[in-house]
Amino acid sequence: MATAAEDAPETAPTDGIAARARGLTKAYGGGETAVVALDAVDVDIARGRFTAVMGPSGSGKSTLMHCLAGLDTVSGGQVWLGDTEITGLKERELTRLRRDRIGFMFQSFNLIPTLNAAENITLPMDIAGKKPDEKWLDQVIDTLGLRDRLKHRPAQLSGGQQQRVACARALASRPELIFADEPTGNLDSRAGLEVLGFLREAVDQLGQTVVMVTHDPGAAAHSDLVLFLGDGRIVDSMERPTAEAVLERMKRFDVIRGQSSPGGGGSSPGDEGSPPGGAARTTPPPTT
Amino acid sequence: MLKATLRSFLAHKGRLVLSALAVVLSVAFVSGSLIFSDTLSRTFDRLFASSAPDLTVSPKEDLKEAVPSGTTATLPAALADRVARVDGVGAARFDAEADGITVVDSRNKSVGSTTGAPTIGTDWNPTSRSPVKLTSGHAPHGADEALVDSETADRKNLRIGDSLTVIAAPGSFTVRIVGIVTFTTTNPGASLVYLDPPTAQTKLLGSASAATSISVDAADGVSNDQLKQRVAAALGTGTYEYRTAAEQAKSDIDQLGGFLDVIKYVMLGFAGIAVLVGVFLIVNTFSMLIAQRTRELGLLRALGADRRQVRRSVLTEATLLGLVASTVGLGAGIGLAVGLIALMNAFGMNIDTGEMVVGWGTPVAAYVVGVGVTFVAAYLPARRAAGVSPMAALADAEIAGIGRPLKVRGIVGGLVGAAGAAALVGCVLASRTATAASLLGLGVVLTLLATVIAGPLLVRPVIRVLGGAFPALFGPVGRMSQRNALRNPRRTGATAAALMVGLALVGGMSVASASMSKSFDDQIDKTLGADFVVQNGNFLPFPQEVTDAVRRTEGAGLVVRSRFAPVAVTLPDGKRVETTAAGYDPQLDEVAHITYARGDTAAALAPGHLAMDLDFARDHDVKVGSGIPVEFQGGRRTELTVGALTDQDSADGFGTQGGIYFGLGTLERFAPGGQESALYVNAASGTSADRLRTALERTLDRYPQVQVRDLADYKDLVHDQIAVLLYLVYALLGLAIVIAVLGVVNTLALSVVERTREIGLLRAIGLARRQLRRMIRLESVVIAVFGAVLGLALGLVWGVCTQQVLALQGMNALAIPWGTLVAVVVGSAVVGVVAALLPALRASRMNVLAAIAHE
Repeated sequence: MATAAEDAPETAPTDGIAARARGLTKAYGGGETAVVALDAVDVDIARGRFTAVMGPSGSGKSTLMHCLAGLDTVSGGQVWLGDTEITGLKERELTRLRRDRIGFMFQSFNLIPTLNAAENITLPMDIAGKKPDEKWLDQVIDTLGLRDRLKHRPAQLSGGQQQRVACARALASRPELIFADEPTGNLDSRAGLEVLGFLREAVDQLGQTVVMVTHDPGAAAHSDLVLFLGDGRIVDSMERPTAEAVLERMKRFDVIRGQSSPGGGGSSPGDEGSPPGGAARTTPPPTT
Repeated sequence: MLKATLRSFLAHKGRLVLSALAVVLSVAFVSGSLIFSDTLSRTFDRLFASSAPDLTVSPKEDLKEAVPSGTTATLPAALADRVARVDGVGAARFDAEADGITVVDSRNKSVGSTTGAPTIGTDWNPTSRSPVKLTSGHAPHGADEALVDSETADRKNLRIGDSLTVIAAPGSFTVRIVGIVTFTTTNPGASLVYLDPPTAQTKLLGSASAATSISVDAADGVSNDQLKQRVAAALGTGTYEYRTAAEQAKSDIDQLGGFLDVIKYVMLGFAGIAVLVGVFLIVNTFSMLIAQRTRELGLLRALGADRRQVRRSVLTEATLLGLVASTVGLGAGIGLAVGLIALMNAFGMNIDTGEMVVGWGTPVAAYVVGVGVTFVAAYLPARRAAGVSPMAALADAEIAGIGRPLKVRGIVGGLVGAAGAAALVGCVLASRTATAASLLGLGVVLTLLATVIAGPLLVRPVIRVLGGAFPALFGPVGRMSQRNALRNPRRTGATAAALMVGLALVGGMSVASASMSKSFDDQIDKTLGADFVVQNGNFLPFPQEVTDAVRRTEGAGLVVRSRFAPVAVTLPDGKRVETTAAGYDPQLDEVAHITYARGDTAAALAPGHLAMDLDFARDHDVKVGSGIPVEFQGGRRTELTVGALTDQDSADGFGTQGGIYFGLGTLERFAPGGQESALYVNAASGTSADRLRTALERTLDRYPQVQVRDLADYKDLVHDQIAVLLYLVYALLGLAIVIAVLGVVNTLALSVVERTREIGLLRAIGLARRQLRRMIRLESVVIAVFGAVLGLALGLVWGVCTQQVLALQGMNALAIPWGTLVAVVVGSAVVGVVAALLPALRASRMNVLAAIAHE
């Protein structure tokens, strides 16, 4: 069961947990002008589930994903991927970890323009010098309906097709965890739905673990669990979300934002210039 | 708009640095060479103007000496007295000077400069105009006293009391140093030995009554021109030449001028290469900057800037770059000139840096070249910028220009290439050297142009092949680097073009010079029959005494002498040809294999006869038995009968048109006083070649100016002469490569910036830093090798055509130095690796997250 853990036990993750963070803190700058993007976040990402991370701009949701994926260094706390603690790993080990154990989808510019779809899909394995599992690869390609697009270069593909190729790449090596950063942000709604459908399928039929960062309640509704981030902390979570429920919950951020400034000392989460934290701390910690 | 331009210039200054560097280099070479040659001219102007007498009377020389004959033209010393009596003459004195002498110290080492500057022996007759003054010791008196200049003394550690042996045309003699003279002006590099006047006459000129010139001072109130008129009237104009101080200075400078011109042209050659290669760099940089700014330019257009304003904005930016780079280049040029002057000083030519001249022409040339080149190179990119549509502001144009068809380039390149190929074919088919050479020049320029224009079209096919093995060898990293190189053919083509130009030159020159070497080898094998050749390494003549010594050497059998003399022949078709004729001893057949079309060596060398080349004879209606009027130096004339026609591969050398030769007796009779240019020596029967060589080397120990060479040594000597040309070409290549590397660095650096997001993505999905660096390195290597292959292919064609032109001069052998060519390709791969160092480092240091988020 994925949740933001309340009492952080300093133990290695147990089975069923794909990634885990304890006391994860990320601050930019130092001293007076330090900006805390993540404030002692504890989180477990359950294996075989589709988790969405939501929050207003500047809430730290992308930073959380980057830290969990070994793309960014942390200022404090610990992060595990499976049994491996990735905080403290060297750059070279992190690169290998991303290559072999994590799949990525970004909002745009997901593909290498000089490589065709098939080459893009197998790129992480090619870089690693590993042979892809042909059966699995065929399954992924067919699931995503890319069979007749394999020889196309990215420039010859539509935005939706490009994201599907990116999705296939993320799935191809059967990683422990797939991170999708606003994967539908640049797509029209039909193509967006298609991509979300594939992510859903990846979890349901292919047994993958997906973490998606989004600000679109509609997209978040495709997940099993939504984690809400505000001012660098996980402030809430929602099982089996619907678009309406998520939207409602997001509206409450606006309310808090509007009210919190005098008493809480917090500021709007989007305003990164002022010290955050106040608002987040006053928010009651979510429970399972 | 100007404000926007300035902002943009400042914002991109980092990216403009490399282009600026190319401009700086070319401007530095242009201004450096101008400053240097201005300074030298000024220095020597002063030297010669201050040291020339009001009037110089010298023997008339009608014929130019293309090949040194070793003669010193003299006039009677008593002429000085006759001149002194002419009205208007203040004073007249004779000079006795010989400038082809060798002076050795007690260990038989030459005291002369090693750079080829002459050693001059002359009479000590100091006047207020002498370029030297006696600074220690006393003036020379009698036959065994001499002065040397302080620079030679310092260089060779000579002191007063040391003895020297002077090897002059009449014979060697020993002198003791009794004093040291110091230059009061610049010494052009010569070593000077002063003797008392009678000694100079007898020992240097071989006659107590001979002199080489008369120096005349005007009486008060008589101008130099008046003086010249009066002296000429008194002595007649037939036998003597008269030069006023100004004319003499000019003539001296002209003599030195050849040397100065060589330096100047070499420097300008460097500047030319720098400019040529720099143009590619600038075109490329501006194209890339504009490609990257397509959206920005589109926005400007959308906001209402018209095409002209956009174009002007880019050109203003280019002009700014040109101005800044020219200024820096001018400064660097001054530095270069200072360096060159220091270098000349190291070679024994003392020039004061304080006398450096920066004429007004230098900055003008610097700015014209710098700004001009930048402006011209930026013009095409500027036009392209003006063509950016306002829609580009909205479009997600990754790289402008990528998709534009290369059709126009293909057509223009094809047409120019066809014209160039036609010129080269014409060159190969031509039968006259002059026609062939000019067609070659035209063909070279046109094919180069065609390759530059059509280069981008060749990128795909050639790089497919060159990088074809990359995916197999280097996996996905290799595949991506190959595809990246193919990504923008224009850019890859332009980047490689810089390297191509330099390597095409080298390819052509190395084929030509290898062919020359091989041709000479073949000829030497075919014609030279002597065991040994005794000769000066610079082909300068040497005195009779050496010949005598060689003849006396134990084990020396036949010795055949050869001499040269300038002649002018009047041919049956009415043409007068000035050339150099050779004279040989009658036993020529024993030491050389000459093929005759008509006649034989005996007929050729018989008194009153001559031989010439068959083709030359045909061209001028000469037949065996024709009477040819021949003029020699000093106005001696005779008519010689054609005794034989030769059918050699190469009769024409430099300045020896027609391949004319006759008996040494004939030459001695009409051109007396010459010195031997070479001795062909055979071992006496019963003496092995090795023993003779040892004996000859012992004999020649006292004459360091000549060496003994067998066939192989002789070939080496010829190769060395050809190699000098190659060294120059290699130096040019070095510069071209430096600039080409800048170009590759520039392209890669900009590509890395352009592909920031892509690099970020690759890093995110697990490409290691090492792999990323390798990817960029491989791309760089494939671009560099592409340039090298293109350049060498072009150079190979040029070289083969050049050989065809040389074949008309009898150099029939074609040799392709495959080793050199392979080395150049390998070297270019290294160049690629080096060029990629910084861009690769930069790419691998990128922050992954920042790169992904990069706009």
